[in-house]
Amino acid sequence: MSAQLPLGIGLRDGATFDNFFAGPNTEVVVQLERGDEPFLFLWGSSSSGRSHLLQAACQGMSGGGGGAVYLPLSDNVELAPEMLEGLETMALVAVDDLQQVAGDTEWELGLFHLYNRARESGCRIIVAADAPPGALGILLPDLRSRLGWGPVYQLLPLADGDKRTALQLRARRRGMALSDEVANYILQRSPRDLHSLFSMLEHLDRASLAAQRRLTIPFVREQLAVIRS
Amino acid sequence: MTPSFWQKCLDALEHELSPQQFNTWIRPLQAEVSKDRVCLFAPNRFVMDWVTERFQSRIEELVSAYSDTGTLPVRFEVGSRAQVTNSTPVMTQEPGVSGESPSVSERAKPDYRRSKLQHNYTFKSFVEGKSNQLGRAASMQVAENPGEAYNPLFIYGGVGLGKTHLMHAVGNEILRNRPSAKVLYLHSERFVADMVKALQQNAINEFKRFYRSLDALLIDDIQFFAGKERSQEEFFHTFNALLEGQQQVILTCDRYPKEVNGLEERLKSRFGWGLTVAIQPPELETRVAILNSKALQTGVELPSEVAFFIAKRIRSNIRELEGALRRVVANSHFTGRPITVDFAKEALHDLLALQAKLVTIENIQKTVAEYYKIRVADLLSKRRNRSIARPRQVAMSLAKELTNHSLPEIGDAFGGRDHTTVLHACKKVASLKEEDQRIAEDYANLLRILTT
Repeated sequence: MSAQLPLGIGLRDGATFDNFFAGPNTEVVVQLERGDEPFLFLWGSSSSGRSHLLQAACQGMSGGGGGAVYLPLSDNVELAPEMLEGLETMALVAVDDLQQVAGDTEWELGLFHLYNRARESGCRIIVAADAPPGALGILLPDLRSRLGWGPVYQLLPLADGDKRTALQLRARRRGMALSDEVANYILQRSPRDLHSLFSMLEHLDRASLAAQRRLTIPFVREQLAVIRS
Repeated sequence: MTPSFWQKCLDALEHELSPQQFNTWIRPLQAEVSKDRVCLFAPNRFVMDWVTERFQSRIEELVSAYSDTGTLPVRFEVGSRAQVTNSTPVMTQEPGVSGESPSVSERAKPDYRRSKLQHNYTFKSFVEGKSNQLGRAASMQVAENPGEAYNPLFIYGGVGLGKTHLMHAVGNEILRNRPSAKVLYLHSERFVADMVKALQQNAINEFKRFYRSLDALLIDDIQFFAGKERSQEEFFHTFNALLEGQQQVILTCDRYPKEVNGLEERLKSRFGWGLTVAIQPPELETRVAILNSKALQTGVELPSEVAFFIAKRIRSNIRELEGALRRVVANSHFTGRPITVDFAKEALHDLLALQAKLVTIENIQKTVAEYYKIRVADLLSKRRNRSIARPRQVAMSLAKELTNHSLPEIGDAFGGRDHTTVLHACKKVASLKEEDQRIAEDYANLLRILTT
């Protein structure tokens, strides 16, 4: 009998504050939700939740007037410095992966001018990168100093116990039951950054739906073998 | 037609697109819905082109599906709802100062919004120190006698030292003394953008008339005029006209005028006609005073030893000093803990550790081997005597704590060991840290070396 294919409607995890497990980063999340700092800078490793938090902040703006825009600078095929024009009319501009354009004069100038215009118009700017402002290799000192104008936060990585909780939270939101044993089993056998763990969860979600099986250790073991092969 | 109509379209798009696509291209759109059309405003041409190219037909389909009246034309425009509703000719809208005489009621109160001045940047909130004494004194004289004392006033110095603050302080003071004065602050980029727009719209005469009608023109960061010949030309004439009319010009720059490359000689020499003053980086006492003043403005009590602690470590500029203070205050509000030196040290830990090191397994192996005076090859070898096995277990445990590698990957990196060996090593080190003070110290030392 062939396996039943899951419906083509993928369940999107989305990026909201609700489905972010803050752990040691609760202060940052509270700060972002409150939204009263005109400028914020967040830095941390690539799977520290930077993109999730920036998008959650944009999503949070939809209720309260004014637009918001998310600029993933790692996507430099799609984006160009012209994208920064007029953004001060937004209530919030969230710039992700700033390290990608550090040293690029046009982007640096564009961002510097955006900071100046935003200060006049009252638009908030949140920037995220993989290192603090002083360690990014920004050439324009005017931009470098503006990056540190507001509070600078490091997004701390989650300890394994927190990762397990984050994984279980994400599973619950997808309607899956993930026991401590199975969560530990996954944590001990797959890359432990959150991106990989959540992708693994997405894979398991589809596979368990298709196979009509619960998430048990034997099932997860089979799936890990499938992924490796 | 209700706003919820567009909201339904948004909900559908949010469901169909990835969160990133939605947040980058759809969320910044502002909709204006009327009986006979939907107008979508994009913040710039880049967004507009991208959206029309990829999503126009889908948006039109959704509009037809959800609107009460069936098919509605969808128009895409650059701008925002507010801007378009207040649409006025270029020169009265753009620089924000109307050329008309203000009414009597308007005269009573200075219009900070139109002047683009930050009302909190005053002489009162400016902290004086040796580094900025001269600049402050000259600015105060200019504020008392605009157009007469020093014209132009040219303030130069590095980033984040308070040039902009001083400039705004002069503008605010002029307006305080004469509320009807036409004062305009703008960044040099804005002057260039206004001029380009005026040229495109065939409105260069209005541009000239407008700028020449000001009582005080304050232009920030004129080093960004470098290489922009047409802007320099226009600015040169504006500048001359203002000086002739005894209208005040104040300029800031990141360096001495003669040192700005790409700036016309005639401009450089004219900048020296008035008074050129430098602002130096603030010395420790001034940095402490600045922190105290900023804390006072935000209603926070900052113990002097904490102000000294922050001021000693953040030397670069005032902007970063302010950022550090904001971080400490935010942290204190969040935790409810009082602001002490230890507290500040903790709150600013990541800011002070400027070079965040990237921790890799190789890095850990190298550091641990050096620490225990053994070779990396020993760590990877099959040898099991304690002088090698213990450091190996410590290194495995550090790799689990400081990297995101899976346990099988960590095992692999240590000479092809099994993930259960890694798990055992981590448990062993955890229990040894409890029992043996020396191991606990070694581990703490290694953690510090690897993460600071």
